[in-house]
Formats: sequence, C-alpha cells, structure tokens
Amino acid sequence: MKWMPTCREATELASRAADSRPSLAERLALRVHLAVCKNCTRFNRQLHEMRRLLRERPADDDRAGGLTPEARQRIESELKKKAVP
Amino acid sequence: MNPLDAHTWLAEHGDYLFRVARRQLHSDEQAEDAVQETLLAALAARSRYAGDASVRTWLTGILKHKIVDLIRRNVREVGLPLDEDGDEAVDLLFKQDGHWVEPLRPWGNPHTELELSQLRQVLDECADRLKPVMAQVFSLREVAGLETEEICKELGITPTNCWVLLHRARLFMRQCLELNGFSRAGAA
Repeated sequence: MKWMPTCREATELASRAADSRPSLAERLALRVHLAVCKNCTRFNRQLHEMRRLLRERPADDDRAGGLTPEARQRIESELKKKAVP
Repeated sequence: MNPLDAHTWLAEHGDYLFRVARRQLHSDEQAEDAVQETLLAALAARSRYAGDASVRTWLTGILKHKIVDLIRRNVREVGLPLDEDGDEAVDLLFKQDGHWVEPLRPWGNPHTELELSQLRQVLDECADRLKPVMAQVFSLREVAGLETEEICKELGITPTNCWVLLHRARLFMRQCLELNGFSRAGAA
C-alpha cells in the first residue's frame, strides 16, 4: 500500500477495521487518509452509525409486522402433529 | 397457561420471532419457516429448558441457529453473487483515480423514537434490496453481530469472499440510505 490510500482503498480499510483489527500499517494509512478526507471520514462514521441503528433496536419496534393469519395457522397445525403423544 | 406449551409460544412470541428472522433472512417465507422450525425444535427439546432464561430468550437462541441453517442452505442453492457484477457496481461509486464520484452528504441526528423507527424502516428496505446472499451475510454481521470468522465458517465461504461481500453490502447500503432521504433526516 502506498503511504496515502485512495478513497476507494480507504473505504476498504474502514470496512476491514469494522470487522477486525487491521495491521499497524493499514491503521496508519487509514488515519492519514481520514485526516485529510471529509468524504471518507463521513463514510467511516456512517458505517458505525448504521451498525448502531441495526443492533440497538427495541424488541417492540414492530413496524416489521408479524406472522400472517395463514402462516400462524400453518405453524399451529404442524405443532399439533408433533404434540400428540 | 402452561409456559411450556407450544401453542402458547406461538401466541406470545410468534410475531417477535418472525420479526427477528425477517430482518436477517429478508424473505417472509423463509422467516415463517424459521419460526416453524424453531418451535418444532423447542417442542422436541422442551425437557432441556432449564427455566433460568425467559422462554423468549430460550426460543430466540434456538431461532439464531435456525436462521444460520437457512442461510447456509441459501448459499448452497443460490451460490455467492458473481464477483464481476458487484465490482461493476462499486466502479460506479468511484472515479478511475479512486476518488468518490459524488461527495457524501452528512446524516441527520434523529432525536425521537419515531424518527429512529423511520430510519430503521429505510434500513430494512435497503437491506432487502441487496442480493439475497449478500443481504444475509450483511445481516449476520451487522444485525446479529456474529464475528466474520464465525460467518465464514458457518457458511463455508472463504474469508476473502466473506469480506468482499460485507464491504460491498456496506457501500450499497450507504448509497441506498442516502438516496432514500437518510441525509435529510433531522438536523445537519
């Protein structure tokens, strides 16, 4: 890696850093790039913001809906089949 | 009401389990399958329920395994998205010299629960638009919080493949969120 990664490379580094600890050289390269690049700083921040929104979700955030009556009935009858001793 | 009765589980936790599964599987049908398989497995393992966790927590633990099973099946059946089409899509985001084509707009700061809930709705819709396997790998990491090593191992894909899928998914998600008004939500 060159001493200054491009934006495309910097997003890859930011993404990798969100999954595991990159090497010292990679971390430095990312830090140098972020220090001068507003877009990639935003990208990096948004990655973490996205994760936070997805993980910190109230259990009753129920806009996703629920089981349809048909699905419920189907599961109910499957359970009945198994439950009979 | 008997807390170990499967019909009670369905009545009390069915919708919750469905929502958890739907967020990670991105398909109504598969989420229904996951709920069904979870309740059947729970029924079979009923005697092992120790009672020290809530029934919901116990069921959710079983559901997580069922979700991974279903995703593993998808990876086998559908295969991974082809490298080339993903790369072309990434090419659209960056210029030849590696700079962003469009400047990134800042995201707002949602304050109320309603705003947050609307943002999560957009997130769900964007994730549903990713290619199926990519969407599922993304959700295993970002929603379920599995480590990438675990995901690779569970799905039998190489770490490089896994990582490329995740990175592309993130690029597309960010783009989709911006196009769908994420940047205008709340303040600057």
